Amino acid sequence: MKRELAWLDRVIFAFAAFFFIAPLIAAAEYSVRGYGNKGHTFANYSWIIHQLGFSAALWTSLRISIITILIVLVLVVPTVVYVHLGGHRYRRLLEIVCLLPIVIPVVSLAIGAQVAMPKNLQSTSYELCFFYVVVALPYVYRSLDIGLQSVALSTLVEASQSLGADWFKTLTMVIIPAIRSSTTGALFITFALSLGEYTLAVLLHFHTFPTWATNISQENIYGSIAISVTTLGGAWILLIFVAFLPRIKSLFARKERVA
Amino acid sequence: MEIHGSTVEFRNVKRTFGTVKALNDFSLTIKPGELVTLLGPSGCGKTTALRILAGIDKDHEGVVEIDGKDMSAVPANKRNIGMVFQAYSLFPNMTATENVAYGLRVRGVDSHKREARARELLELVGLNTQGDRRPTQLSGGQQQRVALARALAIEPSVLLLDEPLSALDAQVRAQLREEIRRIQSTIGISTLFVTHDQEEAMAISDRVGVMNKGVLEQIDEPGKLYNKPKTSFVAGFVGLTNYIPAVMETKSSVIVLNQVVDISDHSVDAKKGEEVRALVRPEELQVEKASEGAVVITKSFLGPITRLGIDAGTPELIYAEVTSKEAKKFDTGDNVKISIHSDSVMVEYA
Amino acid sequence: MVIADELAAPTRTTGGSGSSRLSIKFDRSVLGLLPIFLFLGYFLLYPIASIISSSIHDNKHHLTLSLYGNLFSGNYRTAFTGSFKLAFYSMIVSGIAGAIICWAVVKTNGIVRTITSSAAGVLANTGGVPLAFMFIAAFGQEGLITKLLLNVFHWDLYGGSFDLYNFWGILLVYCFFQVPLMVIIFTPALENLRVEWVEANESLGGSKSQYFRHVLIPVLLPSFISACLLLFASAFSAFATAAAMSNGSIPLVPLFIGNLVNGNVIAGQENQGDAMAMGMVIVSLFVIAAYLLLLRVTRKR
Repeated sequence: MKRELAWLDRVIFAFAAFFFIAPLIAAAEYSVRGYGNKGHTFANYSWIIHQLGFSAALWTSLRISIITILIVLVLVVPTVVYVHLGGHRYRRLLEIVCLLPIVIPVVSLAIGAQVAMPKNLQSTSYELCFFYVVVALPYVYRSLDIGLQSVALSTLVEASQSLGADWFKTLTMVIIPAIRSSTTGALFITFALSLGEYTLAVLLHFHTFPTWATNISQENIYGSIAISVTTLGGAWILLIFVAFLPRIKSLFARKERVA
Repeated sequence: MEIHGSTVEFRNVKRTFGTVKALNDFSLTIKPGELVTLLGPSGCGKTTALRILAGIDKDHEGVVEIDGKDMSAVPANKRNIGMVFQAYSLFPNMTATENVAYGLRVRGVDSHKREARARELLELVGLNTQGDRRPTQLSGGQQQRVALARALAIEPSVLLLDEPLSALDAQVRAQLREEIRRIQSTIGISTLFVTHDQEEAMAISDRVGVMNKGVLEQIDEPGKLYNKPKTSFVAGFVGLTNYIPAVMETKSSVIVLNQVVDISDHSVDAKKGEEVRALVRPEELQVEKASEGAVVITKSFLGPITRLGIDAGTPELIYAEVTSKEAKKFDTGDNVKISIHSDSVMVEYA
Repeated sequence: MVIADELAAPTRTTGGSGSSRLSIKFDRSVLGLLPIFLFLGYFLLYPIASIISSSIHDNKHHLTLSLYGNLFSGNYRTAFTGSFKLAFYSMIVSGIAGAIICWAVVKTNGIVRTITSSAAGVLANTGGVPLAFMFIAAFGQEGLITKLLLNVFHWDLYGGSFDLYNFWGILLVYCFFQVPLMVIIFTPALENLRVEWVEANESLGGSKSQYFRHVLIPVLLPSFISACLLLFASAFSAFATAAAMSNGSIPLVPLFIGNLVNGNVIAGQENQGDAMAMGMVIVSLFVIAAYLLLLRVTRKR
């Protein structure tokens, strides 16, 4: 296959770009419409913030997301690193286990949660945190695994030990710096997932930001759209930024090397 | 299986990629049944020439003929050429037999005939038991044998090999190149072989063409190429060469290592006393023990011969080769005297 | 949430340190697995076990498979049929559209490639409520795109049978995240196509269509089908988007379950809902199993 882009490819790209960008632009336009379709204004955005329950819902979601990433940090990250340093056989087993949640539809998990979980757990919104960890697990595992493999952690640890470092030194000076970037990525994915998760929250009757946003759509559709645009636009910008981060980093690194 | 050997001719072929001249006025004739190798560093144009002959590369000036027929109007899939690629060219969804039979299949040969033919060829390359295996189940060497069988199945007029051994282990490489040569000369098919490995080129070719930056610097039998290189690039690329600082004595002789030696070529125009470099092969140097003078710095055992790296006051070590038996006399740190045992040397500007 | 592009590129375990070198660690690392096993055991397996258990008991706590039997008739059957239909159409449309885009993407590199792959990643994970509202804004009766199509192309979107809230509307929305997902999953398969195969085909005398028939299609088909299976599973399980958009008119299993949860149904039927939920798990299991099987076939090549 020739490696140059034929006109057909450009057409394909143009179509694709249109189909995916147009809705967001349209929604953005919609969100700045004045009431009754007259004129354009940012009033809808300020309206959201002043609604009853906005800050409560947002705070709830933030709280849940923070607890979720803490659980991931304390439970999942050490496990993956530990097993990675250990043996081949168990790494495969952990991989299978961590990919298991993909098979279970979130709806079914929600139903199961309702049936299985004790009432006292169900009364606090923290129940969601545990399930969000389950749902995020495959993504977290993959992010960590790719990072660990590219760093060849076990080799680094052996090198460190052969040079005479004890376990604490190896941990702080070798392991933690090595896993920093992949851990950050994994936590980021978890945070984004927790903030935007709707299914579990609504089926278990919790009031998080996504459920609140859906509810107020009954009152003011423009407001909900404003929220959606913000959420989507923000997520897109952040994710694209993360994707371009390595390029930006190498740009700075090159400058340093030249200097 | 015998094939009528074809004549291949390149005439003044030029190929540029943007501003880079991949091939510059390239002319070459391959005689019927001959195995010609194009040898050179990456980017020298050898693969470009091969791809132009195959018809895969179509934007070129100049003429390419097979048996006197101009190929410019003939598309790649009608040229009846067999091609073996460096790697990955076997179709992964087919067994070895199916791969070999593929060329026959697209020509409409019925399945019995083509299977029989495929088995015949697999036997020729020594893989008659592996016919039902898929490419991923075969080793690198085996895959290349299948690729060779596949190329020969269509009874091509010319065989093209694009660095077929470069991706293989050293031992497999040596073995397979002998086999390729054996099959090629038995069948009598005109062959163009491309490689950057000079040992490979010299071992199996009828003639070797050394290329550099799109230009064919010299084409000759391997022995002539080695002993009578026409340019310093060829001298440097083929075999090991020492570049020793020397001083012109007369128009046709030079003082090197305190010896006066004739110059073999006259491409250098220099006056007496001018500084130049002499190109001397390691085996042209004789090494004797001495009480003072040059010092042996390194000693590398290479099997039948040993290579000595000697510091004779020149900017780089001078490498001499002696039989390993003789090399027992010398140790690192010993003083030696080097002398040139050759009628003449090549010379280039310093 | 969309089924992970995780399955698209399963993590491969390359050779790690031999177990003999860190022999003390080797035994202890089993213990290392314990916390997460317990965690998943309680928060994943236990809920699922619970609904398995409740779905095989009727109101009088007798063991029975009747609840599953009910899924094959009446509203339940309609819901399952609806979900299958949606997932299937979504799979076909997104599979083909995604493959076409892939084919163009594979030819790019450098900055265009980075943009397209990160865009695909972002779009594939766009789902749920924001996505639904975005489409409502864009394609609704007062939407910008609707107006644009009307004024510029004289195409009245709502003149015909189109309705954002009916089957085809939801299909359109699903394509928004399914197509990028397809691009993500399928690009590696296209990248594995070697240019040597095209050239070998040419040198052996084959035409372009022979290459397609004998090499390209056979090589790509397993990867294409397995990618489609992932799309199917993802579309089948999706809840949030459908919930935000549906006005109850479209029969889908997740929505049905949602209704049961909200009490829009006769009491004493909770176990039926559990059977439905397990039904979803079973379908998902089948699809993923088929996917893994196909994956092994392609890996063997």
